[in-house]
Amino acid sequence: MAKHILSCTVNGEPVEVLVQPYVTLLDALREDIGLTGPKEGCGTGDCGACTVHVDGKVVASCLMLAMQARGRKIRTIEGLASADTTLHPLQDAFVRHGVPQCGFCIPGVLMAAAALLEENPRPSEEEIRYGIAGNLCRCTGYTKMVTAISEAAGALASQRSAR
Amino acid sequence: MSTMKTTRDVKGVGVSIPRPDGPEKVTGRVQYVADIQPKGLLHAKLLRSPHAHAKIVSIDTSAARALPGVRAVLTAKDIPHLKKKAPTRAHAVLAIDRAVFMGQPVAAVAADELAIAEEALDLIKVEYQVLPASIDPLKAMLPGAPPVADAGTEADTSEALAHSAVAIAKSEAPAKAVNISQQARLQRGDPAKGFAESDHVLEKTYRVPMVHQGYLEAHAVLAEWDRNGLLTLWASTQGSFNTRSEVADVLGIPENQIRVIPVECGGGFGGKIRALCEPITAVLAQVTRRPVRYVMTRREELQAGMPAPQVIIKLKTGVKRDGTLMALDAETVIDSGAFSGAVLAVSAVFLGSMYKWPSFDIRGFEVLTHKPSVAAYRAPVAPQTIFAIESHMEQIARDLDLDSVEFRMRHLIQEGDPMVNGQPWQSNGAKQVLSRIAEHPHWKTRKQWVAAAGKNGKRRGVGLALGGWLGGLQPTGATVRLNPDGSLAVLTGQVDIAGTNISLAQIAASAYGVDTDLVRITTGDTDVAPMTGLSAGSKTIYTVGAAVLQAAEDARRQTFEIAAKELEASIHDLELVDGKVTVRGMPDKGITLAAIGKKGNLYMSKTPPVLGKANPAFTQQAPGFAAQLARLEVDPDTGEVTLQDFVIVQDVGKAINPLGVEGQMQGGAVQSLGMALTEGLLFDDSGRLTNPSLLDYRKLTAADLPNLETIIVEVPAPAGPFGARGVGEPPIIPAPAAIANAIQNATGARLTELPMSPERIALALVNGKH
Repeated sequence: MAKHILSCTVNGEPVEVLVQPYVTLLDALREDIGLTGPKEGCGTGDCGACTVHVDGKVVASCLMLAMQARGRKIRTIEGLASADTTLHPLQDAFVRHGVPQCGFCIPGVLMAAAALLEENPRPSEEEIRYGIAGNLCRCTGYTKMVTAISEAAGALASQRSAR
Repeated sequence: MSTMKTTRDVKGVGVSIPRPDGPEKVTGRVQYVADIQPKGLLHAKLLRSPHAHAKIVSIDTSAARALPGVRAVLTAKDIPHLKKKAPTRAHAVLAIDRAVFMGQPVAAVAADELAIAEEALDLIKVEYQVLPASIDPLKAMLPGAPPVADAGTEADTSEALAHSAVAIAKSEAPAKAVNISQQARLQRGDPAKGFAESDHVLEKTYRVPMVHQGYLEAHAVLAEWDRNGLLTLWASTQGSFNTRSEVADVLGIPENQIRVIPVECGGGFGGKIRALCEPITAVLAQVTRRPVRYVMTRREELQAGMPAPQVIIKLKTGVKRDGTLMALDAETVIDSGAFSGAVLAVSAVFLGSMYKWPSFDIRGFEVLTHKPSVAAYRAPVAPQTIFAIESHMEQIARDLDLDSVEFRMRHLIQEGDPMVNGQPWQSNGAKQVLSRIAEHPHWKTRKQWVAAAGKNGKRRGVGLALGGWLGGLQPTGATVRLNPDGSLAVLTGQVDIAGTNISLAQIAASAYGVDTDLVRITTGDTDVAPMTGLSAGSKTIYTVGAAVLQAAEDARRQTFEIAAKELEASIHDLELVDGKVTVRGMPDKGITLAAIGKKGNLYMSKTPPVLGKANPAFTQQAPGFAAQLARLEVDPDTGEVTLQDFVIVQDVGKAINPLGVEGQMQGGAVQSLGMALTEGLLFDDSGRLTNPSLLDYRKLTAADLPNLETIIVEVPAPAGPFGARGVGEPPIIPAPAAIANAIQNATGARLTELPMSPERIALALVNGKH
């Protein structure tokens, strides 16, 4: 099959790659664009490990065809922090609270949590739990994750009010 | 073995320190096998049997071979050293003439692209003759059941030895029925007399289905051969040396021609101990002379991974009216799937050993069926066994109107009491964790909390359970090197599947006498690391931690010997403070660690470089106990359970890194809460898995759970590093029983089959008229 040109914005940079028309956005990101932060845990949209943002909305990138992302803005875990050398407050809280164990679900959880906080800067515990309910984690039992997200929400909110 | 009881005055053991690879994990930079993309990479796919039991009449691969982009198509005929009567799943690389479970690999393809490999699978024509299958383990045990193994296949007990080191008598008589692959019987006293003298006899059968370990990263491996015939495997494994041995054995090549590089493991929980897809991927790489990567899909994982066995326990107990234990009779059937390898012994030990039964007769059977063969899953068979005995103990207390904690406490073992196999219990904190959880406000106020159930019609219940794990042992090695800048480099081969490396660094720091910030730990591959065992059996900190501790002490001794010479002082007068070895009471007379490190690497220097080493073997286990408490609500109309609170109390001996210990306690508990409430691989009568997706195989999400409270108890293990015991497995053990006990407290219904789904609970309420 002939490859198509996919032009889109990934983590703020314009990207143009040739992709097969049948590949998913996840496969295009991982195999063609070289961003392996998003993971495939199931390939059927059930586990959330492939979560990215498309135009600011949470998307299971294993369920979206790459060509559907044409002209759109994609953000992956690699683009969550504002600079390569710093951590996003969510990432920082995850590290300090010892959230990552095997780490495989973490990029997806962080992207889901980041989208949640953009929509709802001060979520309750229940809202956090529902916000990451599409992300399966088998190591942590979620408790430290919820604590870290709640703490990062506070840090982000005070950053905003200081501005 | 040397074990230190006191910590030096450094930032080391006992402090919560975030793992140093955290930033790599939260930025998506950590590489798992599927993230590695060498030049010339080929993608592998396996054609799997659509039948649980079928004769393979013929395979035609010609159309698949002709597809452009296909580099290899293999069947069993192309791998001459494959033998029938495969002793393990790994040895059955491809089915030879018979498929024995649905999903068993029959042919393998390597192609330029994954999509081409998938297309090639569709072009392979296999003619099967479907044979009758044994699916239900109880039916599979009966004479005349369709046989699973080729005649002459032997039981595989290596996993049992790796996990629990439980000695158990071999069966006294050879198996008569065709599908019984292991059996054991343990007896003490006169159970018949005990039952005759009992006032209360309780008999129930407990059932737990096959469950999947559920690691988020499916099995994955990358294989490449160089032109000297050296095979390199980048593997997602819980033990690189074990993977090397197994692949060498299966493929018939020397171990020194294989290098296993343990890549970051995206979860294992016992499911990545044994080789699975490594051998076939290695063969594909050999015939194509290209790097080949194989990553299982989630569907393949669920259909043809290596889940935990189905367990059926028929348990009968006899006690006096006052709760005096008299007799226990049990029959455990463990469905091992198509190959032997379940840990039969664990079930017998925990059924009869946790409480002091004066007489017992415990019989265990491992049964083969035409289903995927099983592997370990975090304290293999313990949650299933404890579900039975701890449900039973609660029921006895309830029937006799005894306080359920006092009843347990009265009969609970302690150090020195004999287990069912006659071995004495080692030092443990069983009593401490049980009394600690009984002090919890949620337990003390349970009657008020239950009585205060809301107006929504939901019923409230509180339940608890106790569980333990003996802990594994395996020899291991470690080195500790002093760098020219005064920092330490620790090398082991231990795969860090849970955040253990930071704890090992803390042990090295405290044993040597520097802050943990100055210790860097590396997991080496099989070419460079000291021989190291599995990351399994809750033994990484207990055994590798001990090796690191001894190696760090050795390095400290060498450091002091050099300092003594340099300072012209007695080694006994030296101390190490703030990175400097000084003569006690003379702080100006000293030499920095950096200076000692530099001398070890100077051209023409006469000072040897400091290299501490230790390679201990172990004999003494350190059992770990956990007690868990659940507060929940049950909707009597729908059977839906809402977990309100969950408390985990665990004896960890010494929490080397409390942050990591809490993470283990919480994660382990949630895995078995899933086992309790939602999880189960559901096979139909033909052996087909009916729920092969994560939508239908339902794991618990954040929205299903409350915050989990963790309470760490520290009863030092005599031989553990700084008193530490195994942490990983105990927290997965008690939850199903705790939930069942809470559901009974709420509704009066005693659930004996997992998962305790809304349907099962609602039916129990209707049928039992509770």
